[in-house]
Order: sequence, then C-alpha cells, then structure tokens
Amino acid sequence: MNSIKEYLTNGHRECDELFATMENSAMNNLCDAKEAYKKFVSETEKHFQQEERVMFVEFEAKTGMVQGPTAMMRQEHTQMRNLMQQMGEAIDNDNKDKFFGLTETLMILLQQHNMKEEQMLYTMAQQHLSADAPRIVEMMDSMIVSE
Amino acid sequence: MNFNGLSLDQAPPIQAPLRFFLTAPLFGIFAGILILLSDKSLLMNRYSVESIAITHTITIGFFSFVMLGALTQMLPVLAGVKMRYVEITSKFSHISLVIGLVLMVVGLLKSMPSLLHVASAMFFFGFLAMGVMIALAIKDVKNFTATVKNMALSLAFMFIILFMGIYMLEEYSFLNISESHIIIANIHSVWAIFGFAGLLIIGVSFQILPMFYVAPRFKKFCKKRVAGLIVFGLFLWAILNFFQTPYDVVAKIWIALFFWAFATTVWKKLDERKRAVSDITIWYWRGASVFLTIGSFFWVFDDYFEHRYTVLVALFIGGGFIFSIVMGMLYKIIPFLVWFHLNAKGYMSIPTINEMINKKLSKLQFALFILSLVGFVVSFFLPVLVDFFAVTFVLSMVILEFNIVAPVRLYLKTIKTKPDFDMSAFS
Repeated sequence: MNSIKEYLTNGHRECDELFATMENSAMNNLCDAKEAYKKFVSETEKHFQQEERVMFVEFEAKTGMVQGPTAMMRQEHTQMRNLMQQMGEAIDNDNKDKFFGLTETLMILLQQHNMKEEQMLYTMAQQHLSADAPRIVEMMDSMIVSE
Repeated sequence: MNFNGLSLDQAPPIQAPLRFFLTAPLFGIFAGILILLSDKSLLMNRYSVESIAITHTITIGFFSFVMLGALTQMLPVLAGVKMRYVEITSKFSHISLVIGLVLMVVGLLKSMPSLLHVASAMFFFGFLAMGVMIALAIKDVKNFTATVKNMALSLAFMFIILFMGIYMLEEYSFLNISESHIIIANIHSVWAIFGFAGLLIIGVSFQILPMFYVAPRFKKFCKKRVAGLIVFGLFLWAILNFFQTPYDVVAKIWIALFFWAFATTVWKKLDERKRAVSDITIWYWRGASVFLTIGSFFWVFDDYFEHRYTVLVALFIGGGFIFSIVMGMLYKIIPFLVWFHLNAKGYMSIPTINEMINKKLSKLQFALFILSLVGFVVSFFLPVLVDFFAVTFVLSMVILEFNIVAPVRLYLKTIKTKPDFDMSAFS
C-alpha cells in the first residue's frame, strides 16, 4: 500500500472497528471492556503518532504550512486524548453512564475529525508528497509508538 | 485547497445553526394549534388554504429550517468549505423566513392578499440568501463527493420549488388561479419532498450511517448513480404530468422504487452496524425507513384511487420519513455543537453529550410523535379524533423544544464561567 491517503484511511477504519468492539463489550459489564479499551486507545494513539511524528512533519516541511491544518489536527488529537483518558477513568470507577456519554462524544468528534482528514488533508498530502509516498508509508508502518 | 473547515475557530458560530434549530419545534407547535383551530373537513382536502398553511408551517418552519441550519454546520465537515458571511446571512434569512411564514399563514387563513405579497418577497430573499451562499460554498469544493453532489442537486430543487411556490402564492394574492395551478402545485410538492429533502437526506446518510453507527458503507452504485436516476425520474414525472398524465404512474414507480430501495438499505445498514448501542436517533432512522416504504407504495397506488389518499401519502413521507430524520438529526447535532464549542473555548469539565438531554424525555417525545403520526392516519378515516392527536403532536413538539433548549441553556450558563484552560492562544 503506497498511498498515504489509503494507508491512513485504513487506520481510521481499524480504529472504528476497535471502538465498536470496545463499546459492545462494555454494554454488559464495563470491567469486561478494559482490554478492548486498551486495544482501541493503543491503536488510536499509534495512528495519531503516525500522523504527528511522520506525515505532518513531512507535510509541513514540504508546504511550509506549520500553523495550518496540521496544527488544527494536533489540537483535535489533544481533545480526543483527553476524552480517551476520561473513558479509562470511567471504567476504573465503573461508571457506565459516564463511559457511554464519553464514547458518544468521542465518536462524533472522531468522525468529524476523520472526515476532514480524509477529504482534505490526506488528499493534499498525497498530492504534495506523492514522490516520497512509499518512504513515508514505510516510516509510518515501522514506527515505534512512544509512551 | 480551502482549509477553513479544518479550523475549530472557523467553524460557524454556534448561533448560525441554533437559531434555525430552536425555532423549528415552535413552528411544530404552531402547526398543531392550527390543526386544532381548523375546520376538520377542510384538512382532508390538500388544496384548501388550511391544509396549505399547515403543510408549509411544517415544511418551511420545521424541515427547511433544520436543513438550512444543519447545512451551515455540515458544509465545513462534509464538503470542506465554509459559507461566507454565515452569521449575517443566517440571521437575515432566519428573520425573513419567520416573518414570511407567519404572514403567509395569516394571509391565507384571513384572505389578506397584501400579506401574501410581503410573504412572497420574504421567502424570495430568505431562501435566496442562504441558497446563494451555500451554492457559492459548494462551488469551492475540490473533493466533489457523492454527498456534495446530492447537496448541490437538492439546492437546485430548492430554487425551483421556491420560484414555483412564489408564483402560486402570487396567484392566491391576486385571486387569479390559473389552469396550470394544480399541475404546478403537484410538481412543487413532489420535487420538494423527493428532490429538495429526499436527495439531501440520501446524500447525508452516505456519510452519517457509516460514521456514527459504524455501519457498512453504501455501494458505489448508490453513491454514484442513484441521485442522477432519481433526478431523471423527477423530470420524467413532471413532463408526463404536464403532457401525458395517464402515464405519469410509470415515473412514479421509478421514483418510488429508488426511495423504497433507500429505505430498505437504511434498515439493512442499521442491522449490520458494528456499534450495538441504540439511541433515539436510531429509532428515528428506523421509523423513517418504515414510513418511507409505506409512503412510497401509497404514492403509487394513490393513482388508482383518484388521488383520494394523497393526504396519507403526505403524512407517511412528510411526517414519517422527513420529520423523523430531521428530528433525529437535532438530537445528534445540538448536544455535539454545545460540547464542541465549549471544548474549543477551553471548558474541559462539561457534561458529555449523552448527559445533556434527558433520555426518558426524548423517548417520551418519540413515542408521542409516532402516536400522533399514526393517530393522524387513523383520523383521516375518523376525523373526530384529529383534535386528540393534534394535542399529542403539540405535546411532542413542546418536549422536543425543551429537550433541545436544555443543552443550549447549559452552553449559556457555562460561558459565563471561567474556562479550565485559556484557549485564546489558538485563535
């Protein structure tokens, strides 16, 4: 898979699936969702870092747009990390209502965010970085997620 | 490429969609009261001024208001473009349409032609202002997806039905009803339902169902071809209606089949969704799917009953399908907007969107709405029941208004307090 857009879009779909698995396992018993929650958060964090540490950096270097869309996407990542952390706390406190309130909020924020990336940022990144796309995808794929 | 939609700070101001959203249930209440006050025998005739007044209180006051409000918010996200002058345009358009609608209702019911002239002008400027700004935004779209295509087609139908509507309103005001009035009225209503509202709902559902419910994506054929095929059917139907009325049922079947297929697809997608969580919006989507199926078939078979059941078709498709979807949207969009704008302003310890609306009240609102809808259908055969179901309908609208005002009150209360983080550095 050599297309940046395709690679990162697939990442979104994988996170969506993990999100649904997490929510479904939380419906019966919130404690059962702990593992699924960890999987979802770790995959989402990996995706965020693939963008922040590789793709965004390359994009900013190529276009010179440092305070543009990538800054906004980083800001939204921060909002989502905050929500994910609160979800973890809700699981620890066995607060189901809070947990599902947070997942619903995260879901809409996440999807709105994904749509902006898929429809605009990835398309633009693919155009600007097409020559380096295989290298960038390889870097994102082999990246080690930092804590 | 335009990146306006990517920015938190450049998302439309919260007032732009909210002013439309918060007014919509008030017109719902107004429509219910009009039903209560009307001579019931006149409501069974779709061409009576009472029916026209009540229908437009719902179609303009509720459906169009929610759709216009939602477009201000959805254009940046779904199409990557922002409406220019969104605040002033939405304010102007909102005031014009509110005044226009009230004047139209009073003008029709009290036979005051001068009010109808003013109403026509208000509708013209009100719809045109938003329509032109939305069209200009769509013109900037680089990634022309199926959703954007449907939005553009829906907008084109909005302009056409607007001009037809004004033409007919002027005929009423001059008390000069032409021979073609009924044909224009037919095209106006069918294009409004299937062209303006239908295409927009289908286009938005391509994104909404996979996004919010993790449902399977729509097939390429649906996204690429269906809108064009529906538009073809709508034009074919209009031409046949004008020149070869006995054969217009062919085009009706064509259009109805696509909408029935859409209804079935929605139901199936919801069945196959990965998120098992169910909420009021899913109930509304399911309800819409059922009523659209029934309505599509009724619309076709109505031809064989000399159009005696057109009022029922309007109830099934207008009330059951469009009304349900737009109400479901309100329940999803408003709490999110409140959360989103507060979060962007630096408020972190705010209720989640599920906590902003009382779940029991939203279920009660849904139950009352469906009861009213089914009740209106029964009342078609037993008019004595209309008043009772008008009351349940008004109640459902009052609860809806209460439910959507609750997050807005929270917003207003919260912004008076100090944010958890100073986000001014990001603006």
